Amino acid sequence: MRYVVVGLHAAGRSACLWLRKVDKTAEVIGLDPSPLPIYSRPLISYVLAGEMTSRDMVVAGDGFWQERGITVLGDRAVALDPARGGLQLASGRSLAYDRLLLACGARPRPVNLEGPMAEQVCFFRGRRDLERILGRVRPGGAAAVLGGGLVGFKLTMGFLKRGMRVALIVTSPRPLSLNVDAHVGNWVGERLKNTPGVTLLTSTSVRRVEAGSAAALRLDLDTGQSLEVDIVAAGKGVIPETGWLSGSGLECDYGVVADQFLRTEDERVYVAGDLAQAPDLIHGDRRVNAIWPVAVEQGRVAALNMAGIKATYGGSMAMNAIPVFGSKMISVGVVNPSLTKGCDEITTQGAGSGYLKLVFREERLIGAVGLDAPPRLGELAFAIRRRLRRRDIPSWWLDNPKQAAPLAAPGGFLARNARLT
Amino acid sequence: MIQKTVIVRPERCVGCMQCMIRCAEAHSQSKALASAIREPILAKPRIHLGVGPEGRPFPSKCRHCEPAPCQDACMPWAIRDDISPGLKIVDPTRCIGCGMCAMSCPYYVIRFYRDAAAPERPGVAVKCDGCHERVAAGGIPACVTACKTGALAFEEVNLYLKEGTNRLANAVYGVRI
Repeated sequence: MRYVVVGLHAAGRSACLWLRKVDKTAEVIGLDPSPLPIYSRPLISYVLAGEMTSRDMVVAGDGFWQERGITVLGDRAVALDPARGGLQLASGRSLAYDRLLLACGARPRPVNLEGPMAEQVCFFRGRRDLERILGRVRPGGAAAVLGGGLVGFKLTMGFLKRGMRVALIVTSPRPLSLNVDAHVGNWVGERLKNTPGVTLLTSTSVRRVEAGSAAALRLDLDTGQSLEVDIVAAGKGVIPETGWLSGSGLECDYGVVADQFLRTEDERVYVAGDLAQAPDLIHGDRRVNAIWPVAVEQGRVAALNMAGIKATYGGSMAMNAIPVFGSKMISVGVVNPSLTKGCDEITTQGAGSGYLKLVFREERLIGAVGLDAPPRLGELAFAIRRRLRRRDIPSWWLDNPKQAAPLAAPGGFLARNARLT
Repeated sequence: MIQKTVIVRPERCVGCMQCMIRCAEAHSQSKALASAIREPILAKPRIHLGVGPEGRPFPSKCRHCEPAPCQDACMPWAIRDDISPGLKIVDPTRCIGCGMCAMSCPYYVIRFYRDAAAPERPGVAVKCDGCHERVAAGGIPACVTACKTGALAFEEVNLYLKEGTNRLANAVYGVRI
């Protein structure tokens, strides 16, 4: 049996580990175009902020693969022929497989700007982007960040730590509009506005990128203003890397469509990570949730299924934790009830226990957002998976989220099946 | 090989918090309470006492899930399963304190503190490591040594499962034990 894994980051690495765990003798081949060693992509924001060296990002050196008997090829897959069970590589080689996992992820969403210098916009996805940005960082200079999501926020804080002034340009009326609710988003917006060196421009977008006079670039905004900056970086989300699969006959919608076993239309081809348009737990349809824990879990589930062990993927949901100005901001599932029909919310904002909002739809828990709340979203994520109802949340939990025993404790809803009294 | 693990019987817990003290002591530099409380970076307990229904105590510690949601969420792969079989152990030198693991934990047992193993970091994930060093040296986990009521016991998991089967049988046939 030969397993081939395309892409060795979050999903691919996890899949390789599990393939080896469940099948000690099979041939496992990993394929990744970026030079070894494999590093953890989200850590580039820590390197930008100077909190880590780029050597520390490495999570799997040569020894890691050798120990597990996994062959790694530094090559890129350019075409897939599922009928013949073969991959075409950029080097001209072809590679046959018995089971294939597509885990080649996503690339940054392009920003579609006009102007002669539009090519100068940097993205923030991998090590090359990081090097490009670090090469342009000028302490005392000015930077512009496009996009008010988590990547935009990380970029802003990174540039600030590097001694630059930052203009954060957000199309929506507040930062983190897709990640957290209005209360937390506005709080972050206020903190950003009051941070020396940061200019927050909401409901604003960039029209053109021209050569600047005082600095390298000039940004023309749709408000009529213009900004002179040394560097522009964009974090506007990602789009799955499906282009090379166009001739393969696999069903590609936004990402590669997968069933609850993370199998594509071809029974020998599986998909995991940012590329996979897999079942979504809350919305019930198939979506791409391009986050780390989902990728790692999908890598595991796909690997088990590839090895012939039936494992059902429960569905993905959005989930994030990010330190913001010394506070911990956490969110899971649906956080903006106003954007989803039939939603309802309850908020606990006790003294000392921070802000915690639970979102319900038709009495079922579907999301939560917290700011400096006790980090209990794992329980809530677990509860969402178990379809927790509003009346099942015990009052002792809601009254005291800082000290309360886990929901899975005796008396809690999640322990109900196991309780014998 | 017979795998022993810490079994929690919350109904026996009286909330004395001795387990927390002994846990912190066992994870201190000096391993002795009297000197541990004077260490520059205070060791913290990895077992917590939650408040359950009607204020009843509930000892909560890492279950070392398999597969573990915290391990899935850990971006620097700092939660390792190759240190001791069956245990998920945080490598404090790799932890970046991002909070993703605590957010994914269904049992609320990961907290963030400064750790003597990585003193330069403002906060790393601190959770139960199964006292793997003590166990490897032939000892038993510190929390278990402290528990006087049998709420925490270091036992073979199969025996506990057998006990559960018996309880189920008794419950089904209405026998009070």
